[in-house]
Parts: sequence; C-alpha cells; structure tokens
Amino acid sequence: MRRPWLIVLVVVWALLPWVLGRHHVDLLVFAAIYTIAGLGVGLLLGHCGIVTLAQSVFYAMGAYASAIITVNLKLPASLGFVVGMIASGVIALALGWPVLRLTGFFLAVATLALAMIANALFFEWDWLTGGTVGIGAIPKLGLFGFVLDTPLTFYYFAWVVAAIAMLLVHNLVAGRTGLAMRGMRDSLDAARVLAIDVHGLRVTIFVVCAVLGGVSGSLFAHYTGYVSVASFTIDKAILFLLIPVLGGAASIPGVVVGALFITFVPELLSKLGDFHGIVFGLALIVVVIAAPHGIVGTIRQWRKRALDESTATPGEANK
Amino acid sequence: MFSSLVVQAILSGVTNGVIYALIGMGIAVIYKGSGVINAAQGEFSLIGAVVAVFAMKAAGFSYPIAFIAGAVFGILLGIVVDVVLVRPMVRRKADEDAFLLLTIGIAFAISAGVLFFAGRDYFTLPSIGSDGVAIVFDATIRYHAIWVIVACAAIVAALRFFYRKTSFGLAMMAASIDADGAATTGINVAAMRTATYGMGGLLGALAGLLVAPIVPISYYMGLVLTLKGFCAAMIGGLTNPMGAIVGGIILGLVESLAIVFIASAYKDVVAFSVLLVIMILVPQGILGRRGRKGG
Amino acid sequence: MTAPALDVRGIGHAFGGLTVLTNVSFEVPAGRIVGLIGPNGSGKSTLFNILNGFLVPQSGSVMMAGNDTRAMSVEARSRVGMVRTFQTPRVFEHLSVQDNIMVGACKLTRSGALSNMLSLPRARRDLALMREVAEAVIERFGLQRLREVPAAKLTSGQRRMLELARAYAGKPQLLLLDEPSSGLNTAEVEALGKWLQTFNDEGMTLLLVSHDMQLMNIASVVNVLYFGEIIASGPMAEMQRNPRVREVYLGM
Repeated sequence: MRRPWLIVLVVVWALLPWVLGRHHVDLLVFAAIYTIAGLGVGLLLGHCGIVTLAQSVFYAMGAYASAIITVNLKLPASLGFVVGMIASGVIALALGWPVLRLTGFFLAVATLALAMIANALFFEWDWLTGGTVGIGAIPKLGLFGFVLDTPLTFYYFAWVVAAIAMLLVHNLVAGRTGLAMRGMRDSLDAARVLAIDVHGLRVTIFVVCAVLGGVSGSLFAHYTGYVSVASFTIDKAILFLLIPVLGGAASIPGVVVGALFITFVPELLSKLGDFHGIVFGLALIVVVIAAPHGIVGTIRQWRKRALDESTATPGEANK
Repeated sequence: MFSSLVVQAILSGVTNGVIYALIGMGIAVIYKGSGVINAAQGEFSLIGAVVAVFAMKAAGFSYPIAFIAGAVFGILLGIVVDVVLVRPMVRRKADEDAFLLLTIGIAFAISAGVLFFAGRDYFTLPSIGSDGVAIVFDATIRYHAIWVIVACAAIVAALRFFYRKTSFGLAMMAASIDADGAATTGINVAAMRTATYGMGGLLGALAGLLVAPIVPISYYMGLVLTLKGFCAAMIGGLTNPMGAIVGGIILGLVESLAIVFIASAYKDVVAFSVLLVIMILVPQGILGRRGRKGG
Repeated sequence: MTAPALDVRGIGHAFGGLTVLTNVSFEVPAGRIVGLIGPNGSGKSTLFNILNGFLVPQSGSVMMAGNDTRAMSVEARSRVGMVRTFQTPRVFEHLSVQDNIMVGACKLTRSGALSNMLSLPRARRDLALMREVAEAVIERFGLQRLREVPAAKLTSGQRRMLELARAYAGKPQLLLLDEPSSGLNTAEVEALGKWLQTFNDEGMTLLLVSHDMQLMNIASVVNVLYFGEIIASGPMAEMQRNPRVREVYLGM
C-alpha cells in the first residue's frame, strides 16, 4: 500500500541533486549524515524514553577514528569506519553500563556531563585529536574505484548509508526488541516482571545509538576532509537531540524531517547572522509544548482523526 | 611557597564554590517546588549578568541600579518561564522527558539569544567594594570574593528564614510536598509554583551578578554553570536546598585543588567526573535524607 | 516429593528503624492456590516485593522450586516462571492491548537486537510466535474488541484483565497476584475467581493477596499476616473461625 509512494520518493531523491544547486546538494549530504546520528537518538528517546546528550561524543569518535586511520596511519578508509563503529560501541558499553542505572532527569544530566568531559578531553589530547587545529587532508572516499569527491556523488552514497540505517532501525523497532523497548519505556518495573532485562536492553540500545553516531561521524570526516574539536561541542549534542524531537522521536521519517530542518533552517536565516540558534531553541520549546509527537507524529494524528471522522470507504479502511 | 599555593587554591575554591552553591540552590528550589530539573538555571545567571552589563554600558545606570535590574529580570524570567511554558505542560500532565526537553530548549534559546543580541564578547561587572585584595597566609583574596561569600551567607540565611518562618514560604513548602492537601487548605498551588520559579530565577541571576566580576561571562557558559550547580546540589542532596552550600564548596575545593595537583585544563573533567560518581554511587547526596525516585 | 513452588523461610525486613516483617515463613506447594491476608500496613506489599526480587530481604531466604533466589534478579525469577501483578495495574500505557500482551509473550522467545535489526528468519519466527500467543490470549480473555485500543484508554477493570492476560501470555508456573480484585465489581470478582480457578486447573500455582473474602475462598490455604508476622494459617473456613484472626483481622 505504501509502495507507490516509496517509488515516487526514490525517483524524486535520485533526480533532486540534478535540479538543485551544488550548495543545496551539500546541505542534503549533511542532512543524510545527521539523519544517521539522529536515528540513534530517536531510538533512545522515542522507544526507550531516554534523553541522551552524548551523541556528539560518538559522532566525534567516528570522525576521529576515520581521520586518524586514514591520515596518521595511512590505512584504508573502510578500516576507519570499522574502527570508529567498534570504538563508539565499546566506549558506549563501558560508559552506558554504569550510567544507564540512572533514569529520567538524572540520566540526561549524566549524558550531558559525559559530553562535556569528552569535549574537554578531545581538546586536551591534541597529540591524538589535533585539538583546535584538528586533522586535515582526510582523503575522499573511494567506492569500486570511483572517488566520491563531489557533493553529488557523496549525496548518493550518504543517503544509501542513511537508508540502510533506517531499514535496520525499522526492523529493530518492528520486532521483538522494539516491543520490549516500548514496554520498558512505559513501565520499567512491569517490564522486569515480564523477564525483560531492562538494564541490558537499555545498554544495548545505547550502544546501537553510539554505533550510528560513529558511522555518521566517519561520513562527516570523509565528506569535509577536516575534523576539529569545534565540530563536537555540546551544541552538536543538542542538535542531535533536536532532530528526533522536532520530526517525531518514534518515527523514522520524522528523523529525516528533523535532519532537513536543522540543515536548511540556518541556510534560510543566514542573512540574519547567528539567528538560527534562537529558532532552534524556540522550535524545541514550541514542539515540546504544542506537538509532543513532533511534526510527523502530529500530522499522522491529524490524518488519523480526519480518517476516523469521515465515513471511511473500504479502500481507505485498511490504511 | 607550596603551602601558599594550596591556601590560594582553597580561597578561590571557596569563592567559586559559593557561586556553584547559589546555582545549585536555584536548581534544588525548583526541583523541590515543581519536580523539574531546570537545565536552564545557568542561563538565568547569564541573563542576570548580561542585563546588568547592558543597564550600565548601554543605559548608563549606576552599578547598584544595574545589579538590582539584573536580579529583578531574573525573577521575571523565572515567572515567565513558569506561566508561559511550564503551566501548559503541567496542565497536559506531560512526562519527565518533556519537561527536560523544554528546559533544554529554554537554555538553548537563551544562549542563542545572548549570542545574537550581545555577540561573542565576554562581559564583566565591576567588583563589589574596592578592587583591592586581602592577604591571608601569603595568599591573596579579592575584597569582591569576600563580599561574594558574605552575600551568599546572607542569601542562605534569608532563604532559610523565608521557608521556615514566613507564611508565604511555608505555603510554598506545603504546595511542593502535598499539592492536593495544600489545595484543600486554600493554597493556590499553581501560584506557588510560579513563585518557586521566580525564586529560582532570582537565585540564578544573583549567581551571575556575583560571578561576573570574577569570571567574564559569555553566551556559551550557561550549561557549564548549570552542570556545576547541579553537581553542587547533587552532592548536598537535591531535596535539601541548603545542602547545595556544602556541595558547592566541596566542588569548588575539588576543582581548585585539581588545578594545583593535576592541571588546570582538567578542572571541568574532574568536576563532572565527581558529578557522575556521586549520581551513580550516592544518589541521595551526602546530606540528603530521603532517596529519590529511580536510579 | 517435589519441592514447593515457593518456600519462604524466616524473612525479616526493616526500613530504617521500622520493622516491617519478622520471621515470616510459609510455603506455597506446587499446583495450589495459597492466600495471604492481612490488614493494611501488615507488610504484604513489602513481602511481595521481596518474593519477586524488587527488594532484598535483610534476613531469611526465598526458595523457588528448591532453588535459592538470593542471587536472582527480578528478570531471572520471571524467566524461570515467577510473574507478579501490581496492586495498581501497571499496563504499558502507550501500547495497544495486543502489544501489551505481546510484550508479555516476549519471554517465550530469545532473539536479540542484532537478529531483529537484520530481520533474520529467527527474529521473524519469534515475532510470529508472539503474535500467535497474543492472539490466543486475546481470544481466551475475550479482548477482541479492545485489541487496538491503547491501554491508557481502558477502564480500571479492563486494565486489571489486561495485566492478568499479559502475565498469562508468558505462561508462568507461579503467579503472584497483588489485590487482583480491587477496583472490580461483584460480577467481575466472580469472573476473576473462575479465571484463577481455571489457571490453577491447568497446573499454575497461585499466591493470592487480597482483602476480598469471597475471592479468598478459592485458596486451599490462607496465611494471615499481622504486623509483620504470620499469626495463623489454614483453610479459609478455619481462619474465619480462628478467634485470634477474628480479633485482629476480621474485626469481629
């Protein structure tokens, strides 16, 4: 039933960069990169009820892993991706195990503290990360002997990676794990009584979120060719949180909408100087107060209500 | 020579500590009064300081007037946050995540607002008293720092008096402990929550006004201050606003001793690590009596 | 002779200086319905939380089918067959009735996050099995019309039934029921009693905490808890005649 809609979407996606200017294609590449990181945050927020402000840490780890592996060690880029994912996952496991004993506000503040500690360490350990100077000249990605050196080519690659991530997250959410996650979100105690290992599950999803952050960071490093500590501040962590909140944390299209929002809004407001920060903050406030299910969630509710009210024809009834 | 370094560290640690304590008290007051951790508490400090700076530089007011303007603005900000933003969410019975996201949004918006309207500059306020220093065991402490400590002590005493002895303060306490019970005795619970936010705004602004002469303030500092204040409140026990004093001073001392014995660059790393350890291992704080939900 | 489903030995517990339970011992033989009654504040909730692992007792032990539960988490106890309900039903508010019951059936399957993400045949089989189990439970409990309704929209009686159905979906061997009849009307209590009786007939062991004397009649043995101590135990009819029980509990 959703298939024709999907085909139209894929055709539009494939043609879009040929219509848009180079600069807009560039923004769409960032939207793909942010979608991947935002998917992880959305998994935690929408399905586990966990607010994380630590996604910037894992994004940074992916980026640094790719930069160090390819520039300092002159090893292949694919290894950078793998190392970035493993490092993000292992660190998330080590940090998540103790920290995810916390819940609610306390957990969120703990992730904020982690992000600030990590940022300070990235800054101080310049022998590893290059500090504020950063690491430059990160090679472009090659794929089957084809170098992804333009926004156009990277656009296709990044969105394919994002689509794979969306598919994996969709499967996770639709399956047994997704049910267990949402049960646990609504009542930790009831879930435990039903033999759901809530701590293990929370840590697992935290690790999944971190690995997505790592992939996103590796893509970022190869796309921009330069990483520095300025890209991994707490603002980035809040931005990653904003993505699922704005679009709708429990919805995968919502994450894409959120990622498009945070990449295109600063562009639209660029004439006003540093104004987009205010818009982001206000957007977060307005969505939380007026549209708790995000943009996509709210539109779905409207549609559902409209469907319920109209005497649905048989064709529409099975949605 | 080394011992004077340690004395110096202790003096600056206590000075920073009381600032953290003020922010922590603001967080604890709002948490106790409404069950919300206000991630924008440091931004209240930012606003208080920036308003005072602009009252002096742009509007040409004298320092005392500017100081009062900053404090009053803090109260108003707290009240507006409650009435405009928190109240509709309370009415909807929003869950904890939503309140947290709301205060993060407020923090982000305020910080971005300061960046937009005031730029990337660092702002300072003049010292209270003279710019001179007192000598204590070969170490120096600015007269302003002494004033800061005195002011904090006075604020703590006033807060204690307010909550224990005034009927308004008692009503606020009652509304936070048992909203339904308080409502049946005729206490306007919503108004009490608004007053709580006003109080939080005042404490936040005062912290900003007192810290700005010591540490120049800039748009991005709010979250760091929030986290330091939260750490102070956590060490002292979140349900006990007075505990934040002890917590703040401990945090300030740990930080400044970390500068002496480790490296100044790791000051925040040490402070936030302390926060994590306290939250995980001693969630009720070292002075807290009651446990908290979760964890 | 098989070990009892639950063997509670000398449980003692205090909060701060307040002693809540002193030397509580009783047995729940496999395949029986055992009752636990006691006035408010007698320590029933604390005891329940100790039995299912939310609380670690300060003294004494809980043996489950002959195994010491000391080192077992709540989840581990549930995995080997102990499921409890709550005094105020804790349903998954944002999930539909069907999804609630499917979560209850999660323990029948094993597939982890990775196989779910890759949608491996194993994961799909697991989900299909959970759906099948949930479907059977929905039919059995007559919840067909509520299938898609979010739990938040249910009445308190329906929530009670959903919690029971959700627990039942995991095929527990030992079901601990905390005040299952509160919030139900007389007809619903009668229906509940019949349900519990059928569960028992199918081989499920039940420990029932209730104020409801009508419901308590299904229990073969009733233990009376008073200020943290078991003061009597025996069949309900006998308890109703016991002078001490009448004095402290039945208020006669």
